[in-house]
Amino acid sequence: MSTRDRLLNAVDLSGRRVFGIRTDLVERFARVLGRDLRAQVGFTIVVLFLLAAVFAPEFAPYDPMAQEYGILQSPSLSSGHPFGTDSFGRDMLSRLMFGARISLAVGLGAVTFGAAVGIVVGMVAGYYGGWIDDLLMRTIDVMWAFPWLLIAIMLVAIFGQGFWNVLFAVGFAYIDDFARLARGEVLAIREEEFTMAAKSIGLVDREIIFEEVFPNTVAPLIVQFTVFSARAILAESTLSFLGLGVKPTTPTWGALLGQGRGFITQAWWISIIPGIAIMITVLGINLFGDALRDAFDVKEADET
Amino acid sequence: MGMKRYLAKRVAHSFVVIYVVATTVFFAVRAIPGDPARMMLGGDASAEAISALRQEMGLNQPMYVQYFRWMAQIATGDLGNSIFTDQTVLARLAGVAEPTLSIAAIGMTIALLIALPAGIVSAVHQNQIEDYVATVVSFLGISMPGFWIGIILLITFADLWPVLPAFGYVSIGEGIVPWFQHVILPALAVGLPYGGILMRMTRSSMLEVLNEDYMRTARAKGLNSRLVLFKHGLQNALIPVVTIAGILLGVLVAGVVAVEIVFGIQGLGRLLIRSIERRDFPVIQGAVIVISFVFVFMNLFVDMLYTAINPKIAYGGRE
Repeated sequence: MSTRDRLLNAVDLSGRRVFGIRTDLVERFARVLGRDLRAQVGFTIVVLFLLAAVFAPEFAPYDPMAQEYGILQSPSLSSGHPFGTDSFGRDMLSRLMFGARISLAVGLGAVTFGAAVGIVVGMVAGYYGGWIDDLLMRTIDVMWAFPWLLIAIMLVAIFGQGFWNVLFAVGFAYIDDFARLARGEVLAIREEEFTMAAKSIGLVDREIIFEEVFPNTVAPLIVQFTVFSARAILAESTLSFLGLGVKPTTPTWGALLGQGRGFITQAWWISIIPGIAIMITVLGINLFGDALRDAFDVKEADET
Repeated sequence: MGMKRYLAKRVAHSFVVIYVVATTVFFAVRAIPGDPARMMLGGDASAEAISALRQEMGLNQPMYVQYFRWMAQIATGDLGNSIFTDQTVLARLAGVAEPTLSIAAIGMTIALLIALPAGIVSAVHQNQIEDYVATVVSFLGISMPGFWIGIILLITFADLWPVLPAFGYVSIGEGIVPWFQHVILPALAVGLPYGGILMRMTRSSMLEVLNEDYMRTARAKGLNSRLVLFKHGLQNALIPVVTIAGILLGVLVAGVVAVEIVFGIQGLGRLLIRSIERRDFPVIQGAVIVISFVFVFMNLFVDMLYTAINPKIAYGGRE
């Protein structure tokens, strides 16, 4: 055992407390799921949609690309197309299930990307302060002065359509929000005793940031992650609706909705049903996030 | 820091942000694959014709020359001419500003008219039936894409029960009533999700204020509770709401773009998407600069307002 490890064990500092908070968060999470109706409804919705997306190839009743059923059949159980068919005679339920794969993956992936970059930037800026803070946060200010849709449209125009490009384009817009939140949390924690203690026993900055400071900012970041996942799914659907999504031929919820726009008087279901799927998913995530926010005791105004 | 100095510093900072935005967009549009000259002349144009047009448009100069020329130009307030229509960029933007601003302004008004009363009622009657109803409605609002609300409104009020026009825009100069008839559905589509977010903010901000000591004291002193609520409560609760309303302008802009497409309105959103498709560099650049200008100064204004309505905050930022 190195001297440092011995010191770490000897001093009851944030290592323990970090774990304390972590187990605490898990406990609170379980408690919320156990008795909060919002959390239960939200969690059930999210899990069901994730399952539908993951197992779409197994459970979808038809091939989502097969153009072999009657054109613009209205939803009916007896025809075997409970959500009807589209203008090419493709089964809407199957397209919806396959669409969930892209919409959920892009939504969750985009927030993961934005959070990963933003949290690192925010923590480094907040921890070091001085010119590093100035430089990073002024860059963040510039990103923030671009409305997200502009950034996303430009990025897709530059790099082309495609799963990863759309994911990055949507996620890019969340970097600044996560950076601000992480920075604020770090500023609050930097002066705490355990940070001082970690410094005094000679931990290097990187270790302090990632092993001591980060775990203590987890609660508000999880809440922000949940809320932004909902926004990212909406953002992806907007891009797809505008024809700037993954690929025009790939079924995603936004793209299905966009294709239905030309038929709203003859076939309302093509644009209405994908919208309902978006709404239920986003609602589920929001309900869950709201319950988490209360459980973790995070203020709403902290995460804009 | 005195107010004047603080304001001067913030204005200077805002201009730096806009300058960096302008520079970023200049290089970003040139990174979009595709040559405007080729697009303008069509697929079967000869190489000579394309290079002649590139020369005319100044696109064959080195990038840095183009950049400094453009910087010198926009410093004088001239955003250049559209490649495709020969109109000035400012004229193009002015031409589409009215529908977009109309939708955004009416949308924002709808959002505030719903969010403020609903948020206050919800907070005052926390965990009662009023709160539950308001919460469910706001969650639904937050969870629906604006363009989809637009489609539902279109089906309902222009098709099933045709009382409102479905497509296009009529200038306010041609009469308030036809203008409003064309604007109300898109404005609702933009305003409802925005109102949902604002209502949540109003509610949580109000709840926080209601639990403050000074509110308890005011009530304990026997002040009329309605007076306490409006004079002390609302005033303080509005502070974060105002800030957030400003920050969420980006959400509003995005909402307007997609909603314009649904209602076939020739606004800023359509112009932007069309310009990116056609690689109309000056129009894209100009539009982005104008949007970020409005965004940055709107937020500066909101910040000043924030400081003005909250005497506790000194000039020098809210961190």
